[in-house]
Amino acid sequence: VIGVGARAAVPTRLPRSTEPDVSRGWTDLDLGRLDPERERPFWIALSLVPGVGPVGFARILRRHGSAAAAWQAREAVLESLVRVPPDAAPALRRLLRRGAKAVSHRAESDASRAGGAIVTALDVGYPPALANTDPRPAVLYRAGDPAVFDAPAVGVVGTRRATSYGRSVAQELADELARAGVVVVSGLAMGIDGEAHDAAIRAGGRTIAVLPSPLDRVYPPRHRELAARLVAGGGALLTEVAPGNVPGRPDFARRNRIIAGLSTAIVVVEAPDRSGALLTAAAAIQLGRELYAVPGPIDSIASRGCNRLVADQLASIVTSCAGLLTSIGRTSDAGPVSVATLSDSEARVLYRLLGRPGSVEELMRRTGLPTSSLASALTLLEARGLVTSYGGATFHPTLAARRIGQAG
Amino acid sequence: VQEARERVRSALRNSGFELPARRITVNLAPADLPKDGTAYDVAIAVGIMAASGQLPDASRLAEVALIGELALDGTTRPVAGVMSLVAAAQSAGVPAAIVAAGDTAEAACVGGISILPAERLNDVVAHLAGVRELPTATPGPQPSLKAPAGVPDLADLIGQATGRRALEIAVAGRHNLAISGPPGVGKTLLARCAQGLLPPLADTEASEVSRIYSAAGLIDRRRPLIRERPFRAPHHTVSTQALIGGGPRVRPGEASLAHRGVLFLDEALHFRTDALDALRQPLEAGSVTIARVEGALEMPARFSLIMAFNPCPCGWLGSPSRRCQCDEGQARRYASRLSGPLRDRLDLWVTAEEPRHANPDGAEPSSLVAARVREAWERQLERGVANGELASRTPAAPTGLRLPPLLETLLQRRGAKFRLSPRRLQRVATVARTIADLAGDADVRAEHVDEALHYRPEAAA
Repeated sequence: VIGVGARAAVPTRLPRSTEPDVSRGWTDLDLGRLDPERERPFWIALSLVPGVGPVGFARILRRHGSAAAAWQAREAVLESLVRVPPDAAPALRRLLRRGAKAVSHRAESDASRAGGAIVTALDVGYPPALANTDPRPAVLYRAGDPAVFDAPAVGVVGTRRATSYGRSVAQELADELARAGVVVVSGLAMGIDGEAHDAAIRAGGRTIAVLPSPLDRVYPPRHRELAARLVAGGGALLTEVAPGNVPGRPDFARRNRIIAGLSTAIVVVEAPDRSGALLTAAAAIQLGRELYAVPGPIDSIASRGCNRLVADQLASIVTSCAGLLTSIGRTSDAGPVSVATLSDSEARVLYRLLGRPGSVEELMRRTGLPTSSLASALTLLEARGLVTSYGGATFHPTLAARRIGQAG
Repeated sequence: VQEARERVRSALRNSGFELPARRITVNLAPADLPKDGTAYDVAIAVGIMAASGQLPDASRLAEVALIGELALDGTTRPVAGVMSLVAAAQSAGVPAAIVAAGDTAEAACVGGISILPAERLNDVVAHLAGVRELPTATPGPQPSLKAPAGVPDLADLIGQATGRRALEIAVAGRHNLAISGPPGVGKTLLARCAQGLLPPLADTEASEVSRIYSAAGLIDRRRPLIRERPFRAPHHTVSTQALIGGGPRVRPGEASLAHRGVLFLDEALHFRTDALDALRQPLEAGSVTIARVEGALEMPARFSLIMAFNPCPCGWLGSPSRRCQCDEGQARRYASRLSGPLRDRLDLWVTAEEPRHANPDGAEPSSLVAARVREAWERQLERGVANGELASRTPAAPTGLRLPPLLETLLQRRGAKFRLSPRRLQRVATVARTIADLAGDADVRAEHVDEALHYRPEAAA
């Protein structure tokens, strides 16, 4: 169990052997005997019933044998659910009235209009990593190249309220992972998630974003452009929410579970107590994925969750990007970039920043240069892509700068 | 002006004159101009006397302006805005002005016109009748300029390396400055240090500023000529009218009271957004225009704007030491209270750091910085215009500021890299000019441009 925040956040219904055998989940269901073509409309239609989630779907399949048979049972299908939300029965009646064919046809055309496609757990295109998880989403909506799901993937997650340190580390990790050919998985949220996707794309890598919202309503809206670049770069968007569905609250807990399921390892870059990223960490532990956490300063609230994961020995500590790559059995093929010609003061500033990021005030103390020289040196280093401030007062060396540092 | 009737009637009586027992029509020409205030009392009283034949020789009336309020007992009383009135008389070619004794010092600040102070209506009449001449007032010696009490010194400020430097540049070039940062790190203190850096007003500026304060009724009658540059810091609850000026009897707002000085908006994002937007005109034009049915009134308002604000409602966005409690939408809505056009007019942006250590070798005191600022001002005066004023000019009306071709290329390249608009680059160029002025360099150099780019808005939170 992870910290205080995570304990409250761990999904409450887990497959447990103490429960009656109807809830044993997906692993012992014989999906091979079902005909994907025949089942498809009923899977899609059933997945649209409120309250039918990954666990509920398995229970329905177990009781009725197939989705088609479950559909014939009409309202009795709800009896399989542990908890039936109040809007389930009327919604199911509406779907029954329209018929499974019409419902699924509509969903398919909605998905393709949003630039995506529907994948059921019976399809060959279903992400292989998720096919081993239990419970697993019965129906997924995907935009982008399905081939991306065959490559090894690592989840890079963290808080939306990231500090400049967290952003910098997220970029660095994602960049290194992408260069090593690893797919970066995250949740497209503001903060750490966004930085991770962005850095992976910039490094020419592929990345998967698991959305808490439908494909036609990318959340958060500010990352729509990022989502488009992500798909254009050979990555994919994945979500459990059907297009056209007006989501109430985005379902972050289920989204985070999918992120963990898709990844061989999860790295929590920066997470305060009660961060959503700790949900992903909890899911990673349950699914038996490797869990890594990036440590932060002990007085940084934004790193409290990460530090606890390490202190409670739930996560391995990440001490460097190279170390992480070694741990997951990869090596970086990134070579050093050519060393730009820098003036004496610029080189001094960069050298100090490579030692430790800092504000102008701290640099003043460490380099002895006046504010005016520091300001102009920093601008030049920023323009050359060697330093960045992420809009804050603290300046960080970029990946390119670190490579120069390693090279010389 | 209606109330003047009772005052004049009673003052005439108590001064031993008679009020004609006929219907009296006082015509204040031109009639289509709205008139208010009490400054016409003396003129009305003297006019009635001349019309009713109680003034033996009215010929002297042509060469004197009469400005003053009358008390019921016939003594004269000072009026608001006497400086502007006397200045108007002077520019209309009137050789002398009779003013209330209480207004003497203020009126004497306007040169080129004799000021004749009168204690009572009787004295005015005696002067006009040639019985007893009024003495001519001479401008009193100005008290020597001393730093206003309670102005913080840069030496007292902890940390804020970037903030200090940006403030120095802003004051030196009369630029507009935005200071963002978490609460309690000294943003307000930093901004208030500007007072200690501003050079005193030049003579012409002093009379301009004094006239505004005179019109607002804010003049200290013992020291009527204002010598210190104004530093105005209105509270964030201020109304648009109080900020810009206006009202049924138009009064100068904070923008005009800050003319030739600094207007400081603390917690700037808490100001009414319409009030903030109303600042665009003075920032662009250096004046405020108040439109009325009768016509538009223009008041000077050329100030440097300093704004201090938190990056988000709770103030801790992006801080390494505390967690921000706001959601993204809140923070974005908060930042959007500052409209794009206003954002564009802020030349320098800094993020105030949380101070972690006391200043290592003690910081530079304000007096040293002020000396550099003064030299930079002199260089700009030689060129004829402050860099900050150049910054406000639109690309359509070029600044006339030429960077060497190589630097222009550098600026364009940086602009592309940091995604800066042409308007922003123009501002960066003027800030670079100020940095060169502070360094005593005749030409702008690459490091000046790069330093100026350090204070771009995208680099601050």
